[in-house]
Amino acid sequence: MSDKKIRVLMSKPGIDGHWRGGIVVSRALRDAGMEIIFGGFQNVKEIVESAIHEDVDVIGLSIHSGAHLAYTQQIIDLLKERGVFNDVLILVGGVIPAQDFPKLKEIGVANVYGPGTMVSDIVEFIKEKIKK
Amino acid sequence: MFDEEYLKKIREKKEEWDKKFENAKERNLKFVTDSEIPIKRLYTPLDVKGNYLEKINFPGVPPYTRGVYPTMYRGRVWTMRLFSGHGTPEETNKRWKFLYENGETGFSAAVDALTFNGIDPTNPDGAPEVGTSGVPLYCIDSLFALTEDIPIDKVSVALVVEPFTSAPVCAMYFNMAKMRGYDISSLIGTTQNDILTMTVGYIPYKNVAPNHLLRLACDFIEWTVPMKNVPRWHPINFTGYNYREGGIDAVQELAFVFASACSHIDNLVERGWKADDFVNRLAFHLAAHKDFFEEIAKYRAARRIWATLMKDRYNVQKPHSMEFRFHVQTAGSSLTAQTPKVNIIRTAIQALEANLGGCQSLHTNSYDEAICLPSEEAALIALRTQQVISEETRITNTVDPLAGSYFIEWLTDEVEDKVWKYIDKIEKVGSIDKALSTGFLYKEMRDAFHKRRARIEKGEEIFLGVNKYPEPYDTCTDVFRTNEAAIQIEVERIKKLKARRDNAKLETIFDKLRTICEKEENVMPLIMEATKEGATVGEICGIYREIWGIWEPPLAI
Repeated sequence: MSDKKIRVLMSKPGIDGHWRGGIVVSRALRDAGMEIIFGGFQNVKEIVESAIHEDVDVIGLSIHSGAHLAYTQQIIDLLKERGVFNDVLILVGGVIPAQDFPKLKEIGVANVYGPGTMVSDIVEFIKEKIKK
Repeated sequence: MFDEEYLKKIREKKEEWDKKFENAKERNLKFVTDSEIPIKRLYTPLDVKGNYLEKINFPGVPPYTRGVYPTMYRGRVWTMRLFSGHGTPEETNKRWKFLYENGETGFSAAVDALTFNGIDPTNPDGAPEVGTSGVPLYCIDSLFALTEDIPIDKVSVALVVEPFTSAPVCAMYFNMAKMRGYDISSLIGTTQNDILTMTVGYIPYKNVAPNHLLRLACDFIEWTVPMKNVPRWHPINFTGYNYREGGIDAVQELAFVFASACSHIDNLVERGWKADDFVNRLAFHLAAHKDFFEEIAKYRAARRIWATLMKDRYNVQKPHSMEFRFHVQTAGSSLTAQTPKVNIIRTAIQALEANLGGCQSLHTNSYDEAICLPSEEAALIALRTQQVISEETRITNTVDPLAGSYFIEWLTDEVEDKVWKYIDKIEKVGSIDKALSTGFLYKEMRDAFHKRRARIEKGEEIFLGVNKYPEPYDTCTDVFRTNEAAIQIEVERIKKLKARRDNAKLETIFDKLRTICEKEENVMPLIMEATKEGATVGEICGIYREIWGIWEPPLAI
């Protein structure tokens, strides 16, 4: 299935409206040949539901509210409950202190992208982790 | 500006000079401003066009290019106003007092995402964000706690809420002031009330459509200023800063705010008011970004454009109606999470732009901006940055010190010219609500995001520590964490309020508000009544949603 595209759900958990990061990364992934499902604002349940229905390989969470630990934990808990946690790569980006990167990785996030990230690094990481 | 004979002589000499140094070495760079205005090697009297008295003139008189006051900072230094809020109203009050004791001269409330979007903390969708990005202001009790022991009759307070929630939040503030015994007709302060902030600056979460937001913004302007309920209040602060942070340039920033301001004035004129009745209280909030001279030229051009717009388009009679007053915020998006102490230097330089450009009020960012909400230490350094400029540098000695620089006058003209053209581009789409609902402004924003991102990736725009001399993320800065108990505290606050209020009386007021919303009449009188009786911001916004429906912004990747 080498011609199958990598599918990415880009979502903003919660209600904070900083939208640039999610859009910039989505465009870069699309330009790199991936399929983007732009979820916009979604609550925890909606994120997990769309990830399952859209059969995505990657969930990108764009969080600028400071509530990244709470939301990410809730999403991962629900993914595990639904038995799909191992099927997806979870990436988190936003204004996230480097001190929190290890905590996020501990709970199951594959990588974290703080301010000033070069989007090419995200593309490379996904392509390396997901071989289609 | 100069005598023809004199210019002729200079032109001859300039040609000689050009020829002589034709092959002088220049680095292989694009010499352009941030908004891509090409910059020449040298500026001379040949570049300064027009008549001094018409185009530049003296400060305190139209077209106000040099400043809105005749003495500027010799008379009064700009207001040092740090945008601040976190955790709970009580904790924010403590921070405000700390800054006030250290010389801050104005307050500005940064609210959380729930307050911005009219969501009560009992709603699970937003609950983890209570107090994480600003202060929660969900009901009148929060306003009492926020301003406890603060002399709100002497120090101006900026309430940074947008049209969707400006009526309930500010009505709570006005009611609180009245209950404290203040006469609100002499109250000073500002409401941001900017339609573009929560539409293209940030995306709105379950807000209403732009035509309703525009009307809500104008309801608030009408009720405070021309109807004279709070006539000294600045009922709107057109906030170019917030969309500039998204990636647009200085020219677009000004054009967005002027196109928006005109739509608001048109709305109020349609309601029967004259521009002279209220335009003097309209205020602006601009960015101080990375391009030092272009930003200074931007502030000078903005004053001239506004004076021209008011005079030519709205035929104002009072000179005060042509004065462009503005607050500045240094550029958060120019700061890095790598080597964050370098942010202190960036912020100081940007603050200087604002002061050399004649701002009325200034927020300086904290060096931990790209990491977390400001710690007390970081906020204090940000305040001290302004104080170094005002107390130690003597730049306040004279008014508009850069005027007459061949380069600055030329660049002011260039920026002005480009802004007029861009205003036309927006107005061709229609009024500002149309520019939103058609998706036009979203596409402009999106294109700006991508253009800037490409510039950064190619190294054409430098971020030290990121794309030049890269450094790992800083892990030494103390991360300021907001109070995790805020959610329980706020839920409890609302529970107590609901237990003591007269719910039956409130239901009657809500029904009247529904009717007013259906008829599209001014919502302020009823929201004043409702919030006095204990209505929450979420309940008022719930009525807006119920009557007008929820709007999804036309985002494009």
